Amino acid sequence: MSTRHGSSEPPRSPDASMTLLNEVYRRPLDPGYAEATARRAAGTGPRRTWRSTAGMVLLAMGLGLGATAATLALRQPAGAVLAARELLEAQIEQRRAEADEQQADITAMTDEIARLQEELLGDEGQSVRDEIAGDSVHSGVTAVTGPGLRLVLTDAQAENLDEEDPELRVQDVDLQVVVNGLWAAGAEAVAVNGQRLTAMTAIRSAGDAVLVDLVALSSPYTVDAVGDAVSMQTELARASAGQHLATLRTTYGIGVQMTSQSKLELPGTGLVTLHEAEVPDATSAPEPQSGAVRDASGQSLVAGSAGPTRRDGT
Amino acid sequence: MIAVIGLVIGVVGGLLLQPTVPVELQPYLPIAVVAALDALFGGLRAMLDGIFDDRVFLISFLSNVVVAALIVFLGDQLGVGTQLSTAVVVVLGIRIFSNAAAIRRHLFKA
Repeated sequence: MSTRHGSSEPPRSPDASMTLLNEVYRRPLDPGYAEATARRAAGTGPRRTWRSTAGMVLLAMGLGLGATAATLALRQPAGAVLAARELLEAQIEQRRAEADEQQADITAMTDEIARLQEELLGDEGQSVRDEIAGDSVHSGVTAVTGPGLRLVLTDAQAENLDEEDPELRVQDVDLQVVVNGLWAAGAEAVAVNGQRLTAMTAIRSAGDAVLVDLVALSSPYTVDAVGDAVSMQTELARASAGQHLATLRTTYGIGVQMTSQSKLELPGTGLVTLHEAEVPDATSAPEPQSGAVRDASGQSLVAGSAGPTRRDGT
Repeated sequence: MIAVIGLVIGVVGGLLLQPTVPVELQPYLPIAVVAALDALFGGLRAMLDGIFDDRVFLISFLSNVVVAALIVFLGDQLGVGTQLSTAVVVVLGIRIFSNAAAIRRHLFKA
């Protein structure tokens, strides 16, 4: 290269590939300062008028104000965010400690209840004990393990992913029909996605989600029912729930998988809330059935949906 | 000198008035502050070198801030905002460092 241009070209410096870094590192000062000084020395610099001076002062004040505002704005939120975060952390820890404490209380009280019950029944209460055991299974208080039926309902895959069609999703009414069908077919205990169903459970929909006992669940919905798998399967197929499932599969493309399981483990709710209701006085209340709710032990149908049922295939 | 006095007045006014910066400008503040720091260090060095000039200082200050914010804005629009911010911070950081070194040599002769 250099031979073609002769000696006119200055010798290539060994660090020519680092011009950018060199420029930044060796000449950090704005060259404008040197130029301005040279101009002033030569007497060719711009003349100072009162106007340009005032403009410069104003500009300087504006820049100082802006820089200060920027610095303040950058510093402020960090502190606020940090404080909020610390507050939230403290609250979380406090609530967690409270919850742990209360959980410990619950465990202790449950133990005490069991002990007192045992004491009360004594030796001769064997039949009562059996009844309690049976009732606590039906009411969903204790965990249940046993053979049973597993039904998996999966939302249908929409052809157009952008368009959400509620008809293609498993709805609360579908789960209600299935669960009621299972109860009717002789299920001893039923759980949806690990949520044990009791006589007080409501299956409802809120927006896109299906709520089981106020816990939002999403597809796939696994309905586990403990009981005689073979008889439940035949009973279910014979009942209207079977037709409903067939409609879901064929018309809406919702995945329905039924398998019999040799061992299902259903959690217990571990919580008994005793409700008491009285039949109101016949003279004061003309409609006696309005307030009469009996609590729940044993099988009963799952409480109904909050909204109108939209599916019309059954 | 006038520029420095004006700047000090502006800083004091900012501290007293506590003006709020519009939310749209928030993403450009960090880079703008770094650019302002660079201009400040450059001005300080020029002062110690005896070649300080109000005009050059103010214009370099303003253009530094504006160009830095513009680069970040462009980077955001092109999807390389963080990378360009890093580049700007690296370049300005090197400059601040070497200017600070020159100031140190002036002040402590070491």
